[in-house]
Amino acid sequence: MSLRIRLAIEWLAIGLFATVIVVTALSWRGAADFDNLLYDKLSAASRPPADTQVLLVAIDDQSLSALGKWPWDRSVHARLIEKLQSQEPRSIAFDILLSESGPTIPDQQLARAMGSGPAPLFQPLHFSSPGSEGRAYDTVLPTPTFMQAATAVGHVNILLDDDGIVRRTALCFRADEDGPAWPHLVELVYRGEKGSPSPVAQADGNCRTELMIPYSRRGAFPEISYADLLSGKLPDDMLRDKDVIIGATAAGLGDNFPTPNGEGGLLSGIEIMANMLGALRRDDFIQPLEMPWLVGLSLLPLWLLLVGFLRWRPRTILLMSLASLAAVLTVSAVLLAKHVWFPPSAALLGVLLVYPLWGWRRLQAMSDFMESELTALEQEGDANPLPIPQNRTTDMVGRQSEALAGAIDHMRDLRRFVTDTLADLPDPMFVTDPDGKITLTNDLLAERLARDISGGPLPEALDLMVSDEHRPAVDSYLAKSDDSTASPEFVRFMSKQGLTFVMRRSEVRSQSGLLHGHIHYLTDITDLARAEAEREEVLQLLSHDMRAPQSTIIALLDRDIDDNAKKRIEQNARRTMQLAQDFVDIARMGETEFVGEDVLLADLVREAADSLWPLARERSIKFAFWDSSNAAFVLAEPDSLQRAICNLIDNAIKFSPDNASIAIALSRDAGQNIVVTITDQGEGIAPDILAYLFTRFATTGEKKGRIKGTGLGLTFVRAVIERHGGSIVAHNDERGGASFVITLPVAPDG
Amino acid sequence: MRVVIADDEPDVVSFLKSVVEEQGHVAVSFSDGNLLSQALVRETFDLLILDWNIPGKDGLATLEWMKQSLTERPPVIMMTNRSAKKDISDALNAGADDYITKPEDRSVVAARINAMLRRNAGAGAFDSKAVYGKYSLDRIEQTVTVDGKTIALTAKEFELADLFFRNADRTLSRNYIMETIWRTTAALATRTLDMHISRVRSKLDLQPENGFRIFTVFGYGYRLETIAKAV
Repeated sequence: MSLRIRLAIEWLAIGLFATVIVVTALSWRGAADFDNLLYDKLSAASRPPADTQVLLVAIDDQSLSALGKWPWDRSVHARLIEKLQSQEPRSIAFDILLSESGPTIPDQQLARAMGSGPAPLFQPLHFSSPGSEGRAYDTVLPTPTFMQAATAVGHVNILLDDDGIVRRTALCFRADEDGPAWPHLVELVYRGEKGSPSPVAQADGNCRTELMIPYSRRGAFPEISYADLLSGKLPDDMLRDKDVIIGATAAGLGDNFPTPNGEGGLLSGIEIMANMLGALRRDDFIQPLEMPWLVGLSLLPLWLLLVGFLRWRPRTILLMSLASLAAVLTVSAVLLAKHVWFPPSAALLGVLLVYPLWGWRRLQAMSDFMESELTALEQEGDANPLPIPQNRTTDMVGRQSEALAGAIDHMRDLRRFVTDTLADLPDPMFVTDPDGKITLTNDLLAERLARDISGGPLPEALDLMVSDEHRPAVDSYLAKSDDSTASPEFVRFMSKQGLTFVMRRSEVRSQSGLLHGHIHYLTDITDLARAEAEREEVLQLLSHDMRAPQSTIIALLDRDIDDNAKKRIEQNARRTMQLAQDFVDIARMGETEFVGEDVLLADLVREAADSLWPLARERSIKFAFWDSSNAAFVLAEPDSLQRAICNLIDNAIKFSPDNASIAIALSRDAGQNIVVTITDQGEGIAPDILAYLFTRFATTGEKKGRIKGTGLGLTFVRAVIERHGGSIVAHNDERGGASFVITLPVAPDG
Repeated sequence: MRVVIADDEPDVVSFLKSVVEEQGHVAVSFSDGNLLSQALVRETFDLLILDWNIPGKDGLATLEWMKQSLTERPPVIMMTNRSAKKDISDALNAGADDYITKPEDRSVVAARINAMLRRNAGAGAFDSKAVYGKYSLDRIEQTVTVDGKTIALTAKEFELADLFFRNADRTLSRNYIMETIWRTTAALATRTLDMHISRVRSKLDLQPENGFRIFTVFGYGYRLETIAKAV
């Protein structure tokens, strides 16, 4: 399974798993405790001020001790309400259940007091559970007497959370699906004042909405004792235009509940109602987030993180996960400030879940991958096996990491080995990628080309390397070797620098057979090529030049040996010896270093002429010396230099007519050079061989030049002169004779 | 006089034998270096013509052996096919008195043999006047006369010319020449000798046309060769 597919599957699996957990947590409210705790803490941060228009009349312990044991005679209530009404409050919420009939007279007194006005008086009803006939609740109304007396009847249900704390309330309650929707008592108070339902009640068309109560500080609402009110101990104006809520607060009366603002204590039902009334007026009930939104908001950070996981580095993932936790909490707090409650625990759970899950799967994937790669590397028959080190001080992944580090080290070594090997190859080489771009060269190539061609395109490099003459052959070799196995193994070409190379190209393919490029090996066979040419020349020499005089001798021996024949035999024998000597000298010259000694050039030239005097005398040829060299010395190998000059004079004699004069002149040129000119009176050199007069065996073959048979001599001469740091040129002088001009550097004084 | 010819090529031996006998000497030949050595211990010879490549003990080894083993040894002319000047100067420096590069003209070989035998016999007259070909030397006036013309020479130049004429056809080492003429080898620029010889050569016009040539043995010394008029 490829890494990519595995990654996709695991990613999705983690996402879906976390989503299921989050949704489950939301619907089971499994994390409600945490949410509640958080809600309590967050809501405590800012509590609304108490509504000053509300006044609580508490049936407290003091009242019980003043008026006797509960329940009181309803005439007491009648008196209180009369007293209240006389002070003209805005409304009265009489939170005392009157669902059973009492003695008739007090009941009537109370009903009369309740209905006399002027302030509207609201009565609670309650529901008994379980209800009769399978119903969940039975609605228990006040007795008809009081129902009639009350302005309206509302419910006063308390909603307890799982932890028994009162955070929520419903402004509307239906005992069963078809039954009437009972508004809450405080909603009735609100309606009594404003004449219309509160905005939240209006929004709650289905009578389902539960709202969360923004509690003011505990005990913030003014509260007076029932007994004090009844006994008239209070200032008269205290009740005017207030919304009075009457109810039990005494501990024994069971109408106290734990609330988030209770700080451990209980809050009486009427104070809860006071808080609700304040919230209604301010219209700042806290709305719990609706389910779809809640699910969405809970899943959002989880999936954002998951997407991020695909891109981020592990460190970033950790930081982003922590940031997500903070963000969720912040969003929750901010929403609460906007009176919307977003329980964050499910979202937090999602984030907390997905990070370790992802880390675990990735670690596993990494471990598996390393394992398989290391195994594969081992199985490829690599030189060194790569065992996972048995280091017990670390875990499996740690050991795999060490093995991987070892493998990487090994690869690094291999790479260095390859690079070094390439760099130290005795031949130039370069590597091209499949697009023909040069990616690697070795030092030797740069040295040979006197520049670095790496990075350039192949044709440009070939422009530098290959001479124009051989370029088509190289191009065709490179084009062919791609597709056919029958292509030639190498191509031979001459470089622009005059070196001869053989180029071989081989393909570089990956394990999977993908073409990565080509390696081009160049082998410098210049020396070999030269040796080849020399061997050809030797064969030429042996087959023709050496044989020819010997054949002549044999032919001469066949007839009577007179003086003429003797002389010709001798001449031919000497010619063979000369050839052999020249050949040996040329060969030897290539092998040894130049070791010069101080030589007086004029004397050397004279002696050369002296040695050829017998030849010259035979044909009455004279030497004419002009020496203006001023006794110049040259640094010379006298042996070879003298023979070179002998060769030239020998030629001059050979090609001059009888009685001729051969001019031998020595002079100094403008610089530190001495110039030797040897001019004959022959017919000159044929123009067509002037150009390659000094190349070896130039005169062999079909060429019928004036110097046929002396080819090696002039090659030798040039080699000697050049070895001495000099130069030689030949031309025909104005009278037609051949003239050879040697220029040699004068030796330094010493 | 008795001349030993040490060579293993019969053609060369018979050629040399004829040259030696033509000059009125006795020729004894050896074709093996070891046999030659034994003979040299037992007998007295006036000249040894020694081939470089003789079988048994080769030329150079024989020279070395002679230097170490013989109290009185004859002059040696080294014969060689090798014309490499290094080889020649090696041979001369190893104790050979002269050398001949094969093939060489009969007249040249004869002249060299005679020069060697002459030296060995204490040749070299010190008459006040001497004539060498067309050159007449007056040792008292220190002048040279050619074709009736007197050529002016410095004292050193005359001494040099005289040395050469007296030792014609003998190869003289540079050290020998310098010790003889300048009485020293030290403090003398190497070019000085070359330049003196060059001047003697030009002033006397020593060239084959005039019957003489000065031959430089590179790496060793010089030789004044007499040129036979007819070959």
